[in-house]
Amino acid sequence: MLVVNNLMVFFENALALNGLSLEVREGEIVGVIGSNSAGKTTLMNAVSGLIIDMRIKEIRRGGQRISIYGNIAYKGEDITGIPPELRVKNGIVLSRERHPVFPESSVLENFRIAGYLRTKKEVREVVDYVFSLFPPLVKLKKRKAGFLSGGEQQMLAIGMALVVRPKLLLLDEPLLGLSPMMQKAVVDAIVALNKESGITVLLSEQFARPVLPVVDRAYVVENGMLTLSGTGADLMNNPEIKSAYFGV
Amino acid sequence: MKKRKERIDRGIKVRSRDIFALCSWREMLYLAAPRLLPVVVCLALPLFLGVYWQKVLLSVAVFALLAISWDILAQTGMVSLGQALFFGIGAYFAGALNHYFGLSPFITIPAATILGGLVSTLLLLPVLRLRGIYFSMVTLIIPLMLVRVIEATKVFGGTEGLSGMTPLPSRWLELYLILGGLLLVLFGFRRMMNSDYGLVLKGINDNDRSVINAGINIYWFKIQALFIGGAIGAFAGAFMTHVYMFVGMPVFALDYSILPIAAAVVGGPGTLAGATFGAFLLVPLSEALRGFGGLRIVLYGVFLVVFIVALPEGMFHYIQRKYHQFERWVEVEND
Repeated sequence: MLVVNNLMVFFENALALNGLSLEVREGEIVGVIGSNSAGKTTLMNAVSGLIIDMRIKEIRRGGQRISIYGNIAYKGEDITGIPPELRVKNGIVLSRERHPVFPESSVLENFRIAGYLRTKKEVREVVDYVFSLFPPLVKLKKRKAGFLSGGEQQMLAIGMALVVRPKLLLLDEPLLGLSPMMQKAVVDAIVALNKESGITVLLSEQFARPVLPVVDRAYVVENGMLTLSGTGADLMNNPEIKSAYFGV
Repeated sequence: MKKRKERIDRGIKVRSRDIFALCSWREMLYLAAPRLLPVVVCLALPLFLGVYWQKVLLSVAVFALLAISWDILAQTGMVSLGQALFFGIGAYFAGALNHYFGLSPFITIPAATILGGLVSTLLLLPVLRLRGIYFSMVTLIIPLMLVRVIEATKVFGGTEGLSGMTPLPSRWLELYLILGGLLLVLFGFRRMMNSDYGLVLKGINDNDRSVINAGINIYWFKIQALFIGGAIGAFAGAFMTHVYMFVGMPVFALDYSILPIAAAVVGGPGTLAGATFGAFLLVPLSEALRGFGGLRIVLYGVFLVVFIVALPEGMFHYIQRKYHQFERWVEVEND
C-alpha cells in the first residue's frame, strides 16, 4: 500500500533520514521503533506531506533549507511531491505527535473540524465508533478539549484522524506521555480499529514494549537509518532490541 | 548523481572567530566592517548632504529610534502599535518644560526622556498582563485618546499646540546629537539584548511560563523593557520638539506608530540593526516618492507589500547570512 524508497531528508546540512526504505501492506499494523532524534517524526511528516509545507515556510522566512530525495509511493502512485491536503483526500491521515487538538473547542466540535471533508452523517457514524473505541470520551463530549488530560487528548487526536476516514493511518508517538494503563488502552484501540475497520496503520514509537506484541512488522530506525526489521515477534526476541529498548 | 545545495560558513568567518583574527588585517576588517559601517555613515553623511536632505536624515534617525524601541518591546513579547504614545509624551514633556519653565533644551531633553519613559510605563502598567493582540490594541488606542483629551481640555495649548520653543544652538549640533544618540542606542541596546539580561527579555517572548519557572518575575522585567522602549521613543519626541520649535497634536499621529513597525519588518526584526537599516531605507524612499503626488502612498504601499512577500525574513537577516555564509552544490551520497 505504501512504499518508501530510499528516502533522504536534510534539514540544512543535517541529515535527518538517510536512505530509509520501508513498506506497508494493506491491512497491516507496522511499527517504526526508534529512540529520540532517530527520524521518526521526519518520516511521518514526509509520508503525510507536512514536510512540503514546512519546507515552503522555511524558504519564506529564510530559515533552514529542507531537501527531500527518494520517493514515496502510495497504492502504486508516486506521491512524493503531492501536497498534504491531496494526500488526506486519498486516505493518508496523520495523527501528530503530542496530540495537538483545538483547545478552545469542545470534543464534538473538534471532531466536526477534523471531519470537514466528510458529510455530517459519515462524521456522526465515525464519532459513534470512536466513542465505542474510547469510552472515556463519551462523558467529555461537551468539555473544551484544552481541559482534557493528556491521555484523553491523545484519544481525541486519534479519533480526529479517524473521522477523516483514513485508509492509511499514521500515528506519530501515540503513547507519548501516557501512563502504562493509558498506553494499553490506546494500543488496544489501535488493534481494534485495525481489525474492525481494516484501516492500515503505520505507527512510530519509542516504547517498544507495548507496541511490538501487536504489530505485524516493525522497523527499527537509528540516526535516520534502518538498522533492523522483522515481524513483531522476531524483534521481541532479538537480544539487541531487548537490551536497547527493554532494558534487560 | 543527485545534487543538493549546501550552506556553510565562510572560511574567514570561522577563522575570525578565535584568536587568529588578530593575525591579519583582512580578518580584523571582516569583524570590524559591519560595526564600523553604520558609525562612518552616520558621522560622515551629514557633511555631504544639502539642508533639505539633512532634515530627511534627522527624521530617518528619529524613525530609526522609534523602530528600535518597537523592536525591543517586540523582542520582550509586547507588540506595540503605538510608538506615537512614547513619541508624543516625550514631545509634550519637553515642550511643556521649555514653554512654562523656560528650561534649556539640554535639560528638557534628558528630563523628558526619563519622565516620558516613566509616564508611558505607568500608562501601560494596567495592561502589562495582557498578551498579544489585547496589548497591541491598548497601545493603539491610548495615543488616539490622548489627542482627544488635549483637544477637549485645551491643556498644553489645546489644538493650537505650544510654539516658540528654544531651538538647539546649531544645525550641526542637532544632527550629531540625534545621530550620536542613535548610534549609542543601537550599539548599547544590541549589547544589552545579548547579555544575560537581554536573554531573559527574549525568553519572556519565547515562553513566559518557563521564565516564571526559572524564578523570575516577568512583570518586573516587562516594566523595565517598557521603560527602556518608552524612554527611547520619548527622547526622539523631545528632540523633535526642539527641532520643530513646536509641539502639538500631530505628535500623536499614526505615522509615528506605523512607520517604525514597517521599518522594523522590512529591515528584519529581532536585531535592532535591522530596524535601523529599515528606517534608513524607508524614510528616504518616502521622501523620494514625493514627486509622485497622490500616488506616493500607493507606490510606497506596493513597495512594502512586495518586500514583505519576497523577503519576509527582512533585509538585515538576508545580508547577514550572505556575509557569513555561502552556498555550493554538493553531491548527495547514499549511506
